[in-house]
This record gives sequence, C-alpha cells and structure tokens, in this order.
Amino acid sequence: MRVTVEQIDPKHEEELIVRCYDPGAAWVLGVAEAASGQRTICGWQEDTMHRLKLSEILYFEVVDDRSFLYTQAAVFESKEKLYEFERMCAGSTLFRCSKSMILNAEKIDYVRPSLSGRFEAVLSNGEKVVVSRKYVTDLKRMLGV
Amino acid sequence: MKYITLWVRRYVTVYGIIMLCTFFMCLLFNPASELPVVTFFGRIMVFTLIALLSLAVYYSKEELTVKAWWVRTVLHLLLLEAVLLPLAHAWGFWQSGTDILVYAGFILLAKALWHLVDYSLNAKTAAQINEKIRENRLEKKSERNANPRPGNN
Repeated sequence: MRVTVEQIDPKHEEELIVRCYDPGAAWVLGVAEAASGQRTICGWQEDTMHRLKLSEILYFEVVDDRSFLYTQAAVFESKEKLYEFERMCAGSTLFRCSKSMILNAEKIDYVRPSLSGRFEAVLSNGEKVVVSRKYVTDLKRMLGV
Repeated sequence: MKYITLWVRRYVTVYGIIMLCTFFMCLLFNPASELPVVTFFGRIMVFTLIALLSLAVYYSKEELTVKAWWVRTVLHLLLLEAVLLPLAHAWGFWQSGTDILVYAGFILLAKALWHLVDYSLNAKTAAQINEKIRENRLEKKSERNANPRPGNN
C-alpha cells in the first residue's frame, strides 16, 4: 500500500483521506479512531454490542474471571482480559490501579488514604474504588506529580 | 529498583520502631542490663527481618477487601507476638510476668505506629495527587474558556 504524507501550511485545516476497497475494514476503522483521537472498545449488554470510547469508561474490572466495563450510566461485559485491555489503554488516561482493575485517571474526583495502607479513589459518579500503593506511582506519573 | 527501595525503606522504618521499643523496654525494666552494642543492634536486625517476613500473611492473589485486611492484620499481630515474645525472652529483653504484658503491648504499639507512619505517608501522597487533579481541572477550564467551541454559547 502506498502511503503519502503531505506537509501543509498551518493556515489550512488538517485532513485525512483514506482510499480503500472496504471502508469497514479493521485497519480503516483503526486509522479513523487514531485520527480522531478516540479509541473504542466493544462492550456487551445481553446480546447487544456497543462501541464505547475509552474516554467514556470509568473503570474496567475483572470479577470471577469475567470482565466488566463501567461507564457513568451503565455496565457492559467485555471479552477482553485484564492484560489485553491494559495493552489497549497504553498512552491513554487509563491505568492499572489494583490486581483486578484498570481505572480512568480523568474520572477521579479525589483520592484519600485508607487505613489498609491503600488509597480510595472517589470517582465522578461518587463511586469509591481501591488504588493499590503499588500502582499509585503510575497515577502520579500520569498526572505529572 | 522500585521494590528494593520500598523494602529498604520499610526495613529502616521497622528497625527504628523496634529499636525504640526495645530500648525503652530495657530502660524501664532492666536498666542495669549491659548488652554489647553489636549484639543489641544485631538482634534488632533479626527482629526486623522476622517482622518483615511475617508480612507474608497479607499476600493474596486477589485484592484484599477491607474485612479481609482487618482479619489478616489481627493474624499478623498474633504471629508477631507468638514469634517475637519467646525470642525476646531468650535474649533477655523481658524476664517476669509483668514484663511480658508490657513487651506484648510494645509489639502492639510498634505495629500501630507502623500503620500510622504508613497512613501519614499515604495522606501526603493523596494531598499531592488531589492538588494536581485540581490544577489540571482549572487548566482545562481556562483552556475551554479561552477557546470556546463554535455553537457552545
């Protein structure tokens, strides 16, 4: 496949045109997501598949070997494993916060210490989740502390 | 490297706490005792090592719930008392019936102090994180105000 990159004057708007055989091909969707800065993931509610933006997700949790995606309004089941989701989130605001959870740093309202030597993060929807001390350094690095 | 630093810091903290407790214990109940400096410090180092090894009771493949954490904390305290009290007796840190109660109290106090130090360090970290979250939010808000989206008025 031929790749052409053209440098333009800052006066003009940046644009990406993809010439392809199949607009639904995975690579085309991937390019579109990357260009719009919106990565997505599939979440399931019963038999319905939803495409969720990573920025919408509050946290990803594994409970009894099943994975769940939590957004402000709903819970979706996911087919991804924790390590797969963690890999997908690289470079985003989601980070591993405990042994079974990946949390969106942008959705944290505030954190507070807990007696158990860990941290409790209060999310934008009022929910409280545990952040292990082991992973708190990642959060600090992400926020620029 | 991160883990080595963490465990060295833990070792130094526990060492300090145990040394202080043992020092006051000897001062209170056995002020006339004479312990060679190297032996004293060596024994405290062994105590510290045991205290840190006993932290294995907190090991779990899954994240501990608050209840599970409390259960293990009690178990950890019992384990510390069961191992350190006979060892301290063998090394002459306590002698009689009253001493054992005080020494057991010191172990409890040392554990409480450990959690308190841990909590205060975490409180400091949490304050730094919250400050940064607040700063980032203000930054985003001012950016939004400076560049309002068309049609967002």
